[in-house]
Amino acid sequence: MHVVEIQHVAKSFGPVKAVADVSFEVDRGEIFGLLGPNGAGKTTTIRLMLDIFKPDRGTVSILNGPMNDAKNDLIGYMPEERGLYQDTPLDRCLIYLSTLKGLSTAEAQSRLEPYLERFDLAKHRHKKVKELSKGMQQKAQIINTILHKPELVIIDEPFTALDPLNTQLVKDVMRELRDQGAAILMSTHQMHQVEELCDRIVLIDEGRDVLYGPLDDIRRRFSGHAVLVRAAGELPHIEGVEDSARHNNALRLTLASGVSPQQVLQDLMAKDVTIEKFEIAVPTLDEIFIRVVKEGDQ
Amino acid sequence: MSKLWLIAKDEFRRNVYKKSFILALLSVPLMLAFNVGIGLIVENLEKNPTPIGYVDHSGLLDHPIQAYDENSSAAIPIIAYDSEDVAREALLTKEIQALYVLSADYRTTSNVALYYVEEPAGNATSQWYDFLQANLLANYPPKIAKRLIEGTRMTIRSPGGIIEMPAGGPTLSSMLPLITSVAFVFLLLFSSGYLMSGVITEKENRTIEVIVTSVSTNDLVVGKVLGIVAISLTQLITWILIAVLTIAIGGNLLGLTWLQDLSINWTAIAKVIVIALPSYVFAAGLMFTVGSTLTEAPEGQAVGSLFFMLHILPVYMIVTLVENPLGIQTALLGTLPFTALLTTGLRSIFTDIPLWQITLSVAVQTLCAAGALWLAGRAFRLGMLRYGQRLRIRELFRRQPALEERRTS
Repeated sequence: MHVVEIQHVAKSFGPVKAVADVSFEVDRGEIFGLLGPNGAGKTTTIRLMLDIFKPDRGTVSILNGPMNDAKNDLIGYMPEERGLYQDTPLDRCLIYLSTLKGLSTAEAQSRLEPYLERFDLAKHRHKKVKELSKGMQQKAQIINTILHKPELVIIDEPFTALDPLNTQLVKDVMRELRDQGAAILMSTHQMHQVEELCDRIVLIDEGRDVLYGPLDDIRRRFSGHAVLVRAAGELPHIEGVEDSARHNNALRLTLASGVSPQQVLQDLMAKDVTIEKFEIAVPTLDEIFIRVVKEGDQ
Repeated sequence: MSKLWLIAKDEFRRNVYKKSFILALLSVPLMLAFNVGIGLIVENLEKNPTPIGYVDHSGLLDHPIQAYDENSSAAIPIIAYDSEDVAREALLTKEIQALYVLSADYRTTSNVALYYVEEPAGNATSQWYDFLQANLLANYPPKIAKRLIEGTRMTIRSPGGIIEMPAGGPTLSSMLPLITSVAFVFLLLFSSGYLMSGVITEKENRTIEVIVTSVSTNDLVVGKVLGIVAISLTQLITWILIAVLTIAIGGNLLGLTWLQDLSINWTAIAKVIVIALPSYVFAAGLMFTVGSTLTEAPEGQAVGSLFFMLHILPVYMIVTLVENPLGIQTALLGTLPFTALLTTGLRSIFTDIPLWQITLSVAVQTLCAAGALWLAGRAFRLGMLRYGQRLRIRELFRRQPALEERRTS
């Protein structure tokens, strides 16, 4: 059973069609990437999931059924527009918010302590939120999202304002949550983070899901029938190669239709070329993103 | 603890620990204390317990009758002197504060000479004339003499006889309905501010989306309103306690006459309260609506001041209200939202407001309150996700608003 199941949802605000047709599922124990250019409909999709908006069409199932108040406690949400009570001391603010997620005050206090230590916020616990740096506030918001041990975590741009050390820390925490069985839906524009963390993605453009599936499958789908080759010395003429172009410190060979990478490798071996690198050219998620969105525009 | 109560508790705590709350809480008692203090000072300035003296050349006071009980703390000793020289010496040595000399032909001319170093206090002058009056009337039957001394006794009474001013002017007792309505207007002012900032707080701090995905919109709105009602009750109870304390101290310990023997017209106060309750809900609903449409707390405070001005509008029309408390204009002011509360308080001093007018006013305030609550709920749902963007009032009345409403249960 999927933790999130979105089927052909659509949502318009007056004349503006924010979401036209989006479907995807998120499972337990996975980190799922919700991607798309600005204004694609990601935030509206999340708000439809959380029942902040009602869909005009389609169905939303969260944790085995329609969203309801009881499920609020099983979900951790860090929205795009986020903040904490600026005039409140950090620990009081986090404890209050987690009691709204169903924890008792004592439970919230005991769970908060190790997180404050781990995120290096323990010595700032009595400071008002507004006295903390942006990075510290971001870490506090992440704690707020996961303190009640949610089954579904929806997190929008989790790495904003974080230095590399803290980015790594947040990634570790997300992997731990995934390993513990939580479903994590992450929305971000940092494609390298998606490549590193996500098992599957959905790419939304102009309110429609234009790409959906396991990340490896998608990258292979966009590999463009090419190989990357680095060899000692000049490469000889190889049968079935239509084009060659420099790609970093290697050559990107575009293969003719019907020619497999194995055939190219065999040809190179046969010609006694000293091969230093041979790999199937897989585009980065950045490249796939740009390509899909540009194609959509055209 | 349910989430609704958590919200209410947090709203209460967030506000009562603020300096602004303490100031608001103390403002009314301080105003009361100031008024009592001024009254006390004025009364004391008019009192001087130093004896007064007299020399009588007319023989009127050969066997003087005291107008006051000599053992009374308010009574000033009145000393008779045989010679003017001795009396003047007593005046110069401040044994007495004033010297009255009755001429030999006093009975025909009423000539009295007054000597003093510093002008005698009001209580000394009034006691001297009471003393003189008592002796002039000594030959009359006591009942007639007493009535003559009492002088004019005017009582203003409303046609139904419910409103009565035995002293000929408003007393503190008759002012109590007005004081009640003013207290409610202040309560509205303070709690309205909390309501507006209560809604804006979540938007300003960008916590609204986290909150509405933790609790239902109903729990959030009702929790906040309950928290703010608790703040208002804290204020009201504190003010009532301080008022009771002020009356007890001022009337009994300090002897302020205007705080003594209060007879409370509960009917008039009840009429104010039945109008005050829906008026409170109406104002709260409007403030909640305004708070939902704005983006920053200071904007809300400006609108709050405007609403306060509307509430105190009857003060500017006080002449009409006093001259014709049963007139059409006055009745209209007593029915319209905003002006009804203070108008009712003011009218209650001078007239017994007809029950049908009170009923009509309560009905109007209740309808307005229901409308304001509907508008508040709609504004909150439409405005909650508008960060840094104002919700226009006309959007509240559109059939198809720009943002869909969230579930409410």
